[in-house]
Order: sequence, then structure tokens, then C-alpha cells
Amino acid sequence: MDRLSDLAERVASTNSRNRKIALVAGYLRSLPPDQAALAVQFLRTIPVEGAKLSVGGTLLRDAIVQASGWDLELVRLCAREVGDTGETAGHLMFGRTEGRALQLSEAASIYQRLAMARRTALKLAILVETFKRYRPLTLRYFVKVISGNLRIGLQDKMVREAVEAAGLSLPGLDARLFDPFEFMLAKPLEQAPEIANAQDWRVEDKYDGIRAQGHFRHGEARIFTRGMNDATASFPEIVSELAALPGDGVIDGEVLAWRDGRALSFQMLQQRIARKTVTAKMLAELPVRFIGYDLLWRDGESLTHHPLEERRKRLEQSWPLVSPQSRLASSGDIETLFSEARARGNEGLILKRAGSLYETGKRSGAWIKVKRPYGSLDVVVTAAEQGHGRRATVLSDYTFAVRDGDTFVNVGKAYSGLTDAEIRELTRIFRTLTTGRYGRVSLVKPEVVLEVAFDGVQKSPRHKSGYALRFPRILQWRKDKTVDGIDGIEQVRALYEASLAP
Amino acid sequence: MQPEFLETGIYLPELELWLDPRSNVATAWVSHAHSDHARGVHGTVFGTRETLAIYEIRWPSEGPRVLQAMEFGQPIEFRGARLTALPAGHILGAAQLRIEFQGETLIYTGDIKLRPPLAGQTTEVALCDRLIVESTFGLPVYHFLDREEARSRIVTFARETLADGAVPVFLGYALGRGQEIAHALCEAGIRTAIHGAIAKYIPEYERAGYRFDGWRPYESRSLEGTAQVVTPGMRTLFEASSKDCRIAYVSGWAALANARARSGASELIPYSDHADFEELIELVEGTGARRVDLVHGYTEPLAKILRDRGIDARAAHAAAAREVEDA
Repeated sequence: MDRLSDLAERVASTNSRNRKIALVAGYLRSLPPDQAALAVQFLRTIPVEGAKLSVGGTLLRDAIVQASGWDLELVRLCAREVGDTGETAGHLMFGRTEGRALQLSEAASIYQRLAMARRTALKLAILVETFKRYRPLTLRYFVKVISGNLRIGLQDKMVREAVEAAGLSLPGLDARLFDPFEFMLAKPLEQAPEIANAQDWRVEDKYDGIRAQGHFRHGEARIFTRGMNDATASFPEIVSELAALPGDGVIDGEVLAWRDGRALSFQMLQQRIARKTVTAKMLAELPVRFIGYDLLWRDGESLTHHPLEERRKRLEQSWPLVSPQSRLASSGDIETLFSEARARGNEGLILKRAGSLYETGKRSGAWIKVKRPYGSLDVVVTAAEQGHGRRATVLSDYTFAVRDGDTFVNVGKAYSGLTDAEIRELTRIFRTLTTGRYGRVSLVKPEVVLEVAFDGVQKSPRHKSGYALRFPRILQWRKDKTVDGIDGIEQVRALYEASLAP
Repeated sequence: MQPEFLETGIYLPELELWLDPRSNVATAWVSHAHSDHARGVHGTVFGTRETLAIYEIRWPSEGPRVLQAMEFGQPIEFRGARLTALPAGHILGAAQLRIEFQGETLIYTGDIKLRPPLAGQTTEVALCDRLIVESTFGLPVYHFLDREEARSRIVTFARETLADGAVPVFLGYALGRGQEIAHALCEAGIRTAIHGAIAKYIPEYERAGYRFDGWRPYESRSLEGTAQVVTPGMRTLFEASSKDCRIAYVSGWAALANARARSGASELIPYSDHADFEELIELVEGTGARRVDLVHGYTEPLAKILRDRGIDARAAHAAAAREVEDA
């Protein structure tokens, strides 16, 4: 683990993707195979294969407090300045550990003990003992493996390339039943290359539900969402259908509210998932279905490196409800097909290139999505929050509002869409506009106007306005506009009403 | 002595003396020549010889002005007090001021570090009753490299980058860090280009005995095969360059990984002209001061940590407010 931590530091110190991969490959080559397998597992931030550690930020902070002797208030302040729990642990244990060497196999057995420990007090004791024992830099990465992000600019795909470059074959590297695969994502049409050869593309409707992965094996099934959350408890009817399948497999698809043989709007599904427990009444009134898009795993074998057509064929053999697919005759047809999909109540289209592989975790040009933003609004920022990781030193997350008479009411929060330079400039501006601070959040005078696009409007008890925008993203910073020119709550309400119409 | 902590600087009413004032005053002590400490045109300015020489470059005299150069460790009499400049290690000429007045000793550190610098005088820790100390890096997450470790990291980074056919670029402040990096590179025999903002103070460093053999002025058109020592503001030029430029950030802030995003550098070398957390604790405890006032940076958290160690320590602003109430 000491060498792995040194390696991680070197990987962090180079911007070059190729050099990062070469560094990892060189390190892996130098290890015996069993050690290399552990190193790969840790570099992919999997502390224990197939088990959850249940060690969160609060527990880690408590362990830092106990092991370092610094009080909680100071530890919190330090964590805020540093922006990463593992790094904070390393810095605060500086000069306070025995500095012993930690082997990969020892780290694995500590993770194992953490996973097995039921009681929080026992987990805490294991962490404190570990923190006091090993080198601070090693602790930094020991904790990062638990918190799930090394923050060294090393994606899963690069680890895989390094494994290949090192000439290793690690079975099950991208095959983890009951551990979600990263989803393959589609590029928006505007960013996709020209569709030159229409015959190379397949077309499906883009459904407006919740993208999910269904894992099943011998009577057992689980469902994971895009955020890698386990949503098994929310959709019992899908789970039982998956569990009834023979063999084992992983289906990529979409959870939809379903009635009379067609998908209902996301707003209907929203009512179903708003509740923690699913009642029998709800099961009857708002049934859900899982429509299959792709098959990533079947009967002990990963299919991600098999071509689209083969995955599709085996998906149709495995699952009864599959998104209908057709061939694209010419790129001029996209417009017509899009209108038809909208008429069916769906969001738009997905184009998939023939022969393409399933590229986990990638927004790939092999999948193209065609959809129009539901709308855009000019809004004003009312609060700005410190980001995480590389954005830990800037205010990068913005809560925004529309006008309601003489006041402003919040309708959402957006993180993405601006350049780093714009975020730095806005941070300076927000610092001068700050009227109050609550931890990471600065309340700001409503002066900065943004144009945000979004995919829908939903009811929200969280905001005073009663509404929240779905998937808001910043289109541009409207330096030309003042707060007098922003949109009002009436527009938001009208958009919501329109979305309820059949 | 009852120092007052004001917007314009620290004021000692008994001596009518300002410490590092930020606007024009009659009589000022200037701890070192960085512009957040040495600015404005004062009537009489006390400082070390090196500090005053650089101060004159930065703030040329516009009217009558008296510069009172002090030698390290040589006390002078001033309005019934004894003033002594003691080395502070921060940059060339940086000094603490010891004031002995009516049986009480006060030390104002200015910016300070305990570890010996790559260029500049090594700090002397002296006893006092009352201490005014900076706390720029007063959180226990800041740990810095020793001089020799920093030198080796700087030289190794330059050599390895040059060996890859890439251009090593060092970001360092115009006064202090820039010269320290350049000096380390020149000493190691590495071809080094220095930006004018940094090069303009090299004569002062040479006068103090530091050598910068074979350096050339920075030229944007000929980067290859040469280590570049430039100011942090120039990073975007190198990021946009068609050459393979690898940027190193030499700073106390480089102790945290988020400095990569902040500075745009890939290589972080945590070496500072300020004290790190342990140095601050060692310095404060070494002076034996019973009362400590903290200025700059993490004043509140460090004050609390010191109080937990049994020292009457206060963040300067809070202290000022309390004393107004007492009066």
C-alpha cells in the first residue's frame, strides 16, 4: 500500500494520460500476480470485492478526531480547506503515527474487517488503530479507497488499459455481478460527428424514466440507478420478474411508470419514487416496468466487448420488454422519427452505431441522443456553494431563483455548464456579494443572471416556490442582463401545468 | 505596551510607531519588502539595509524621507525604547522587531519561518513577554519541506522534465521565492531563464553573496532546453504554449492537492517563505511569551490551539475589540 500511494502521487503529478497509464502499468508489472490483482482493485476504489464497507464521512471524521487528538471543530475546518477526507486524514496524522509499512494484503484484511464489523463502534476502533499505525501518505490513499475517489485523474478505463499494457489478465476485471457497471452515455446530436452513413445506425425511442441496471442470478435480483444507488426496494415488481429469469445477467434499461401498454410521464413516476415504502395501493395504481436497452452480462460472461447486434439479440432472448429498434434509412428521417417519438409521449431518440461496443462510463460518439431541451429560463443566483475536489477552492454550485412579485423564490440548483475561468471570475464576484455564510454555502445578493436549460418542471416541497427544474444546466452567464430582466414564477407554473396535459 | 490593531496597521501609541503600515504615516517599521508590508511613503522608515534597498526600488521617494537602516542584532535607542532587528528568514532582509520598553519586551515577527531559507538569513528565536506573530499557515494540515529537500525536488523536477524534452516551468513570487528557485537551479548548473519581474531583484541578492551564474532573461520564443522561472500570473501563457510545458508550483499552498486546480501546476513542491504549522508552534513556545496576538490567515483556530496549550493567545481583531471595551 505504501508503494501504491507513492505511485498515486506520481500519477497525480502528471497531466498526460499516456504517462499516467505507463506509470500504473510499470508498477503493476513489478508486482506478483496476486498483489497486482489487489492493487488494481484498490486503484478502482473497491476496498472489498462484493461487499459494502458502510464507512461514511462522519465515521471517518470521528476516527480522525480520536486518532489525531484534534477536536471535531478543527477537523471539520481542515476538511473544508483540504476538500478530501483521505487527504485530511493524512495531513492531520502527520507526525502522529508509528509510520509502519502497510502491505497490500494487510490493507485488504483491514478492509475485510471493516466490512464484517456490524457495530459502528467496532468500525471506529479499527479505523483509529489503523490511523495510528501507518505512514500518513499511505493513510491518505487507504481512506480514499474507502471514500471512492482517488482524485488523481485516473479513470477506470485507464486502469484497464494499464492492466493490458502490463500484460496481465485479471479475470472479472470488468465483470461484477451485483456491483453496478458504469453506464454508457450518449452524446447530444449537436456534439456528435456528422451522421455520414445512415445505414450504419439503429434508432430507438428515448424514454423519460429512470435509467437503471437490473442484476439477477438464481432467484436473486437487484436494481441500481445512474448514481450507483441500490433502488431494489423501490421496484418490487421488477425485482421479482428479474429474479424469475434463468441463469445470471445484467440488463441496462429504463424504469417507467406504465399503464395501458405505454409509458407515462416522468411526473407520474416521480410520485411513485417519492415514497420510501411501496404500498400495495401504489403498486396497483402506479405500476412500473423495466424496458431493456442492452445486455452487459449473461451466464458468467461479460458482453461489453461484444458488438451491439449480438447484445441486442441476446437481450431479446432474455427479457420480454425491449425498446423497439429500427434501422435509419437516411439522416433526413431523424426529424420525422423524432416527432413520432414525441407523439408517443417519449423524450426523443437514441441512435446507436452498428457494431459498436458497450463503453462503460463513457459518453461515447457511438450513441447519439436527439432531444430538445424542455425550455430555458433566465434566473438569478441567490446562493453559491464551495465545490469538491478540484473545485474545492471555488464557489461552483449555484442555487437560483425566479421573480415572485417583489421577492425571489428558488427553483433549483446547477453545477455544470460554465468554464473554469468563468467559475473563478464568478467566485470573485460572489465573494463581494456575500450577505451571510452557512458552512460551505454563501448567500449572495441576487445580481448574477444565468440562463439555464432543463428537462422538465416538477413539484418540490424543498423550495418555497413549490417547484423544481429537472436536470438544470447553465447555458450561459448573461452578463448583459440585470435581475430586472429575469423570468417569473408564472412561467414556471405554466410549464408545469403544460407537462400534466396528456 | 498596548499595541493597537487597526485597519492601517499595528500601532504602538507609547512610541508613536507603526508596524508595517498600509498607508502613509510619520514613523514606520517595515519588516520586509513585500508590498503587503512595505507600502506608502512615510516620513521616517526603519528597516534592515536589504529591506530598505528593495523598498526604494518598489516605492521610489516622492518627497523628503528618512531611511533608518538597522543591522541585525545591533540595538538602537528610539524614544526611550531599545529596538533590535532580528532575522526572520522570510525573504532577503526580512526581520523581526524586538522592542524593549519600561521593563517589557515585545517582538513583532512580521512574516517569518524557522527553517533555514534557500536564500536569506536564518531566523533567531528570542525571548519576549509579548509576541505578535503571523499565522498564514496556522492549521495542522500545512507541513513544508526543508531547504535541502526543496532544493532536491526543484532540481530533480527540472532535470527529469528537460530529459523528457519538455520545458520545466516554475511559478514563484516576484520577490523571494523566485530568486530562491533561480538560485537553486543556477547552483545545480541548469540552464535557467528568469522573468524580468523576478530578475530585477537579483542584484540585491548578489550583493548579499548569492550567485546566479549563467542565467538568461526569459524569452517567450526560446523556451526549449531551459528551465523557466516566472511569476504565478504567467501560467496561462505556458498552458497555451504549443511546447510540452510542465508546471511546478513552489509554495506553502502546494501542501494541499487542491493547489493543482488553483495554480494550474501538475508538480507541487510544498516549500514556503512562511512557517508551517509545527514551526509556528515551535516559534511561539520558544519565545516564552505569555501573551500572543495573531495576525494574518488562520488567526482564530491557531489562537484556540495555543490557548489549549496554556498560552494567552488571541486573534488580533478580537483582541482589539476587547481592549476597547477594557478601556
